[in-house]
Amino acid sequence: MGKLTIGCFSSLVGSMSLDFAVKLSEAAVKKGHEVDLWLSGNGVMLGKTGQSKFRDYSYLAGPVEELLKTGKFKVTNCEACAKARGIDKSDTMEGFGIHSMDWYLASAFSADRVIHIGGE
Amino acid sequence: MAIKKMAFIVDKLPYKSETSRLALTHAISSQTVEIYLDDGDNVEPVLAFVGDGVLNCLKDQKALDIYGVTSLEMHIKNALLLDLRVLVCKEDLERFGLSEDNIVMDAEEIGGEITTEVVPFEKIQEEMASSDHLLYF
Amino acid sequence: MKLAVFVNEYNEPAILERLKADRFGIVLVQNGVYHAALKNNGEASPVLSRDAEFYALSEDLQSRGLSEGNIDPKVKVIDYEGLVDLIFNDYEKFMWL
Repeated sequence: MGKLTIGCFSSLVGSMSLDFAVKLSEAAVKKGHEVDLWLSGNGVMLGKTGQSKFRDYSYLAGPVEELLKTGKFKVTNCEACAKARGIDKSDTMEGFGIHSMDWYLASAFSADRVIHIGGE
Repeated sequence: MAIKKMAFIVDKLPYKSETSRLALTHAISSQTVEIYLDDGDNVEPVLAFVGDGVLNCLKDQKALDIYGVTSLEMHIKNALLLDLRVLVCKEDLERFGLSEDNIVMDAEEIGGEITTEVVPFEKIQEEMASSDHLLYF
Repeated sequence: MKLAVFVNEYNEPAILERLKADRFGIVLVQNGVYHAALKNNGEASPVLSRDAEFYALSEDLQSRGLSEGNIDPKVKVIDYEGLVDLIFNDYEKFMWL
């Protein structure tokens, strides 16, 4: 089994790239792989607390919570990107890590595969 | 002990979105990645500007004055100051009628010692092939 | 190198024609799946003329009302689990274009 690092810089609302990243994570974990998901730019919206589940907007809090329970999935927000958007630790879902950008490179260092999904 | 090479390929225009900016800031963060790694391990970044992305490298950007944000020019100079390799695609510069005179080639005024390399796309492709991972922005 | 690129828009990314790889895969996802399913004035998408192996994500085809039975025969339809196998077994490096 291997390790997949996914970097996603796209927004939760207004883009389906985070949906792709989470579904790919689910499939990889289901197959026994380990996944690190790094969120930067507008991607940090994924972990914001207090999101409402409206059918016209992408909502991924549920699948992310399930993924975290597996112990094979780590999700981490870029600290600067989150703070710039007014998202602090207290605004972030439980289980999310918060690190500086070098964490992403360290994760990629030990990954077998890296999929980097840039911003829009 | 291992060195993993990561190629940051920048193909997007600056400012309208933060994509190219995040390429620069993530590449520069390689300077502190060692704190997460075992002794002797490290990341070797290479930054390559291709396609429309070469326009990130233009000189005399006034983004700090106009938008209040650090210019991509300044980020590129910081990358050069930190000895990150910066490659710019020669064919794409020529396509826009640009040359070395129009782009950031060094960071001498802040103490940088290395210079931007203007290279054919083929050379950038070689850098991609010799990298462990690709990060395309 | 064994390179797979993700095409997620219904246009041809300029860099696509410049990329070379020993094994080259084009994975059509999101709006990229239209390349597999539509003809423009009777012509297949120019993306499909590239020297590559082609894949399209079934979930993205279905989301858009595109039938798997009508896609270009060059394109293999895979689901997310198939994509994970592709990522770990068939390719080493990836670009999201």
